[in-house]
Amino acid sequence: MPIGVDEWVAQHTDRRDAGTGWRRVMYTLEARVSWWPRLLIVFVVGLLFAQLNLNSNIEQVAINSLIYAILALGLNIAVGWAGLLDLGYVAFFGTGAYGYAVLSSGNIHWSAIATIPVVFLGTALFGAVIGLVSLRVSGDYLAIVTLFVGQAFMEVVNNVAPGTLGGVNGLFGLDPINAFGASISTPKGYYYFALIVLAVLMGLLHLLDESRTGRAWRAVREDELAAKAMTIPTSAVKIMAISFGAAVGALAGTIFAAQQSNVFPTNFTANILILIYACLVLGGAGSLGGAVLGGIVVTVGEQMVSSPTDAGYLFYGLILLALVAKVRPWKVLGAVLAATAVGGVALHAIVHAISPSATGGSPGSAGWIGHLVSHWVIVPTNATTYGNILYIALIVAVFAVVRVRESLRPFVLVPTLYIAACCWESRLIVNPSITAQILIGAILIGVMTARPQGLLGTLRVEVV
Amino acid sequence: MAEDAAPASAAPLLELDGVGITFGGLRALTDLNLTVGEKEIVSIIGPNGAGKTTVFNAITGVYTPDEGDIRLAGQSIAGRPPHKITDAGIARTFQSLRLFLNMTVRENVMAATYGSTKATPVESMLQLPRARREAREVKALTEEVLSFFGQRLAGYRWDQPAYSLSYANRRRLEIARALATRPKLLLLDEPAAGMNPNETHEVSEVIGRLRDELSLAILVIEHDMHVVEGISDRVVALDHGVKVTEGTFEHVANHPAVVEAYLGRDPEALAEA
Repeated sequence: MPIGVDEWVAQHTDRRDAGTGWRRVMYTLEARVSWWPRLLIVFVVGLLFAQLNLNSNIEQVAINSLIYAILALGLNIAVGWAGLLDLGYVAFFGTGAYGYAVLSSGNIHWSAIATIPVVFLGTALFGAVIGLVSLRVSGDYLAIVTLFVGQAFMEVVNNVAPGTLGGVNGLFGLDPINAFGASISTPKGYYYFALIVLAVLMGLLHLLDESRTGRAWRAVREDELAAKAMTIPTSAVKIMAISFGAAVGALAGTIFAAQQSNVFPTNFTANILILIYACLVLGGAGSLGGAVLGGIVVTVGEQMVSSPTDAGYLFYGLILLALVAKVRPWKVLGAVLAATAVGGVALHAIVHAISPSATGGSPGSAGWIGHLVSHWVIVPTNATTYGNILYIALIVAVFAVVRVRESLRPFVLVPTLYIAACCWESRLIVNPSITAQILIGAILIGVMTARPQGLLGTLRVEVV
Repeated sequence: MAEDAAPASAAPLLELDGVGITFGGLRALTDLNLTVGEKEIVSIIGPNGAGKTTVFNAITGVYTPDEGDIRLAGQSIAGRPPHKITDAGIARTFQSLRLFLNMTVRENVMAATYGSTKATPVESMLQLPRARREAREVKALTEEVLSFFGQRLAGYRWDQPAYSLSYANRRRLEIARALATRPKLLLLDEPAAGMNPNETHEVSEVIGRLRDELSLAILVIEHDMHVVEGISDRVVALDHGVKVTEGTFEHVANHPAVVEAYLGRDPEALAEA
C-alpha cells in the first residue's frame, strides 16, 4: 500500500468492531491469541472446575452441559455451516445412544474401544443415507423430511423391535465406558472424558472449518448455484455435512448412554431436538465457541429454572443485568431503581393500612430474597386470581415499555418492574415447572432480540 | 484489440454444434452454432430475452441441451454436472452477482479451488502433509489471483466479508474467483453492468489483460456497445434464441436484422406493409 493511501480506511472496520472498554480488550485478545491457546485455556478452566468440591447434582449438570455442547457442535456442521435445516438430528443422538446400549448390554458386552468407533462410523453411514434421501429437497422441505426421520426413529425404538431395543421400557444395565479392563465408574470420570472429547472435537472441527471442506460447506450455504459453478460437487458436500454431524451427535449419544447406564425413548424426543437447536441458536450458529457456550448456558439455565430458589436468582439477576446494560445514563438507572423500591414500599404500606388481608400472603421466594421483598411486593392471602391478572398486566406493561417513546420509558419502566416482582412472588414462583418454560422463552426472546446472531455468532447479511 | 483479430485456430477451444434448448413449449435456443478459439474474445449481443444467459447456462451445465453437442477442445461436455465442467476449464461469472457474501474475500477465491485440491476431511483435520501442502498452494494462488486487480482489490480488503465490498469490487471479485479455478475459457455475463463510465473503461482493459497476460479465451455477454467494440475479436448477435449474424463488430452492428432486433422495424416500412 503506497504511503498515505487508505491507511485510515483500511483500519476502519477494525476500529468499529473493536469498540471501547471491555469489548476492546476482548477484541484485542481475539485478534492476538490464535485458536489453540484459547482452546487450551478453556480446557484448563474445565479441568480446574472439576477440582472444586462439587455435589453430585452439579456434577450431573456439568456432564449434561458438555454433552449438549458436543451435540450443538455436531448440529452446527449441518445447520450452521452447510445451512441445511436438519430436524432429524435427534435421531442421530438416539442412534448413538441406542447403538452403545445394544452393544454394551445383553449378550454382547463389547469393549468401548470397539463400540464407540463402530457406533460413530455406523451413524455416519446412517447420516449419509439420510443425506442422500433428502438431496432432492432443500430449505423448508428438507426440514419436513428430516423431521420425519426423527419421528421415525422414535417409532422404531418404541414399537418395531421391542425385544432388542427394549420398547418403552428402554434398555438398562449398560456397561460403563471401558477398555483393557479399566472403566470409567464415577461421574467425575465421565466429566473428564466428555471434556477431552469436546476439546479434541473443537480443535478438529476448527481445522476442518478452515479447510477446503469447511469452505465448501459455507459456499453451499451462501449460494448453491455459484458453488456448483466454482467446482464444488454440492450433493456430495451436503451429504458429507449431514453425515459428519450425525457422527458427532452419535458420539454425544454414546457418552450419554454410558454415563446414564440406561436409555429410554423419551430421551430423544422433539423436545430434546428443540433444546439442542436452542443451544446452537443462542450460542451463535456457525461459531464453534458459540455452540459450546450455548450448550453450557442452556443446560445450566434449564437446571436453574427448575429449582424455585435458583429461578428467583435468575429472574431478579437477569432483570438487574438488563437494566444495567440498557438504561442510560446512570442517573436514570438509579432513579428508576430508587423509585421502584420506594414506591413499592409506600404502596405496600398504604394497601396494608386499607386492607390487611390484601397483603396477608407471603412472597413465594424463600431465604433472603423473600425476606427482602416481604414489605415491598403486595401478595394477598388468596393470590391465584390476583397473580393471573398481574401476569396479563405484566405482558401489557412489557409491551408498553417496548413501544413507548424513549423519553417516557423510565416512567413506564417503574410500574413494570414492580408488577413483574409482584407477579413473580405471588404466582409465577408457585408453579415452577410452567414458569421454567416461560422464563426460558423470555430469555431466548430477550437474547435473540439483543443479539440476533447469538452470543458468539457473526451477524449474517442475507441480501444486499 | 479488434484490429489485430487473432485467427481462430484449427481446433476451436469451445464449440457449440447445433445446440437447442426447450423449456416446456418454449424454444429458448434453436440450432445454435458457436465457436471460441484459443485466446479469442467473442461477444454475444442481443436484446433482453434473446437467450444470451441461456447459452452460458448450457455451456456451464446448468441446463443440458436437448439437441446438439457442446465440445471443449474436441471433448463433449454436454450433460456433465456444472462442477465437472468448471474442472474441465470453463469458469463463469454471473449477471446478478452470486458471491458467497458472508465469507471473506479471500475465502471466496479459496472456495473455488475445491476441484483442484484433493485433501480429504480427515487429512485436513489432522493436518497431514498433503493438506498442508495444498493449503500453502491455495494461499499462494489466492493471493496471485487477487493481485491481478492491483490497488482496486487491495490487500486489506482480503479479510473482509464480501458483502462489505462496493459493487464494482464485487464484480472484480467474481472474476478473481473464476480465475482461481484455473480456466482456459472464461464466460463473463455483463461484466460492465451497473458500472460508471470510468469503471466500464477499466473493465475493457481488464478483459484485454485477461487474454494477453493469462492467455484466456473469453466469451462475454455485454450490452455496452463501447465495451463490445473495444474488446471483441468477433461478435455474435442473438435474437429469440437464434443466431442472427456473426462477424466483426462493424459487420454485426450494421446488419439489418440486428438493427431491427434492437430498434424495431422502420415505421415507414411497416406502414407500407
